[in-house]
Amino acid sequence: MFRILKKSLKTGIVTGRHSAPTESADGGLREARQKAEPFRRSLTIREVDTGSCNACEMEMNALTNPVYDIERFGIHIAASPRHADALVVTGPVTVNMERALKVVYRQTPDPKLVIALGDCAINCGLFKGSYAVTGPVERHVPVDVRIPGCPPRPEAIIEVLQDLRRRRQGEDFRNCPDEHG
Amino acid sequence: MSDDALIDEQLRAAFPTLPPASSSRAGVIQYRVAPAQLLALASCLHRKLQGRLALLFALDGRPIADRYEIQYLFGLGSRGPWVLLTLERTGGDRLFPSITPSVHAAQWYEREVRDQYGLIPHGHPDLRRLVRHEHWPKGTHPLKKDFSWDRELERQPGEYRFRHVEGEGVFEVPVGPIHAGIIEPGHFRFSVAGEPIMQLEVRHFWKHRGIEKLFEQQPLAAALPLSERISGDTTVGHGLAYCQAIETVMHMTVPRRARYLRSLFLELERLHNHLGDVGAICNDTAYVLAHAHCARMKEQLMQLNDRLTGSRFLRGALCLGGVVHDLAPRRMEEVVDELNRIEQDFSELEAIILANASLTDRLETTGVLAERIAWDHGVIGVVGRASGLDQDVRRDRPFAAYDELPVKVTLYRYGDVRARLRVRIDEIHESVRLIREIARLIPPGGLVAESSDLPTVGDWAVSAVEGWRGEILCFVMAGEQGRIHRCKVRDPSFVNWPAIQWAVTGNILPDFPLINKSFNLSYAGNDL
Repeated sequence: MFRILKKSLKTGIVTGRHSAPTESADGGLREARQKAEPFRRSLTIREVDTGSCNACEMEMNALTNPVYDIERFGIHIAASPRHADALVVTGPVTVNMERALKVVYRQTPDPKLVIALGDCAINCGLFKGSYAVTGPVERHVPVDVRIPGCPPRPEAIIEVLQDLRRRRQGEDFRNCPDEHG
Repeated sequence: MSDDALIDEQLRAAFPTLPPASSSRAGVIQYRVAPAQLLALASCLHRKLQGRLALLFALDGRPIADRYEIQYLFGLGSRGPWVLLTLERTGGDRLFPSITPSVHAAQWYEREVRDQYGLIPHGHPDLRRLVRHEHWPKGTHPLKKDFSWDRELERQPGEYRFRHVEGEGVFEVPVGPIHAGIIEPGHFRFSVAGEPIMQLEVRHFWKHRGIEKLFEQQPLAAALPLSERISGDTTVGHGLAYCQAIETVMHMTVPRRARYLRSLFLELERLHNHLGDVGAICNDTAYVLAHAHCARMKEQLMQLNDRLTGSRFLRGALCLGGVVHDLAPRRMEEVVDELNRIEQDFSELEAIILANASLTDRLETTGVLAERIAWDHGVIGVVGRASGLDQDVRRDRPFAAYDELPVKVTLYRYGDVRARLRVRIDEIHESVRLIREIARLIPPGGLVAESSDLPTVGDWAVSAVEGWRGEILCFVMAGEQGRIHRCKVRDPSFVNWPAIQWAVTGNILPDFPLINKSFNLSYAGNDL
């Protein structure tokens, strides 16, 4: 017990140690922001992998580590699409995963957002054209938000997600002093 | 070389009709065998000479020659040479003899060959589709040369038949392809009677992206980014395996400094993955404290990767013939300082983890993979070393700078989740030690080899790299106009997935996530 306490005290607070985002979120988010309004200040997301190389998943997992700790922004990761406000889809949609993606989309209650995470989800990346890939996510389900990168950095993901759950137009949480820790 | 002659002599004594070895390059002895010889030869290599079936794949010889070839690569002993058996199929004959009844490890490989080439392993006990799910139309064999790489597949109705266990109180639990956590898609079908698992059947290949076909569309020198994306967490492992195979074909000699830096990147990759896994195993026993600390240290390492190469996953750090990023001596000192701090940090956590009785209680005797079963399946890497299989490519077939940096291989015998956790913990310390050695010994010099050699058509090479999961193999054959004729990639996951079906039998269903996490196999690398 003392060892655990000592370790915790020695470690201190690491949250928010990540460098602040540099690029500003793109303007195409306005519609998505309106769609996200019913979710108020929280956003529950469900991640679906339709054929990525797993790097995007690793970065999504990194969001929950003590350094990024996205729960503090009111963003939760749900275990079931039935609990989700937004689907985060990674990877090009493979022939074998196409049906599963459509089922998951139907199971997510309306209103919902679809976020295409990473270059593969947006335009199939290096796998474009392959016989085993049926196209980017938007060919199968409507996409509201795109987060480019191979894989996108956790800061970039946080920035977009945070932007989505802004309360009202014009209110910018990024400027709140207590938000970045 | 004397090793090669010895093996040749032994085989020749048992098989007087064996044709002469057709090539002996880079520690690979190749024999072209007749179908009638194959079964006896494979079983002799496996049983008598204790050879591990490391790789089995086919290639479409057209347009170079009108034939299919099926290649069987055996590793003899941990430090012995490779033996490559090549079986030729000419004309319209689609049958080839299955070696699965005597060499169990061939099971998935032969089903894969059937799906990709339409060649049928005669005598195989299980001829269901593996890569091509049931909705793929008949006659779609993507790796045949006349199958267009960008063809759009139609659909057909079809249903996969799982193995059933029948009896009173027995029921099935289907899980996946989409799981509850942020992980990759795969399907598991459990047959349970109450809590204990009677049987597990793994059904994968949901993420099949046609990588091997995509390789064939690229020039030899250009496919590195693709190989770095075979499995996102093994960027350096797969990238290095690919680079080494191409460098052999193109006769490039990588400068010494570059080889040291390659080892450095490979160890950095091992470190952040092992750290993440130690935390994740603890997390699956609901021990969140350890998970939080490990995730924090892992993030520290990812940020270090980012500072060194501009990529958190070390993407683009390697290039053909060497490395892209150099490290100044002062930078190297900083890296070592940071790793020393992380190791100290981790050692404190390790003491806390290993002293936790309730954690030990969950981990011990859970998910035991017996040494015999592991050997039969040709299991490799972390999972193999936890089950008593003493193998590590870094020591056995040194590549990069490992011939100058001897690796101490960790070995445990119990084969349970705790053994797999212990292997990872020990390897973390070993990796930090290796990086300290690299910083001490790294010589000055160039970073990239120069070469203008165009590879000969039909020339091939096979390379092995010890990635953080285990042995990664890459076979490359040069085609016309500097293109890739065939690139076969084998991630350790492909070998270890079937073995997990044995490790869970008899365990209770709620322990499956824990066992699965302790294996931590890649879906992307398996499905390709």
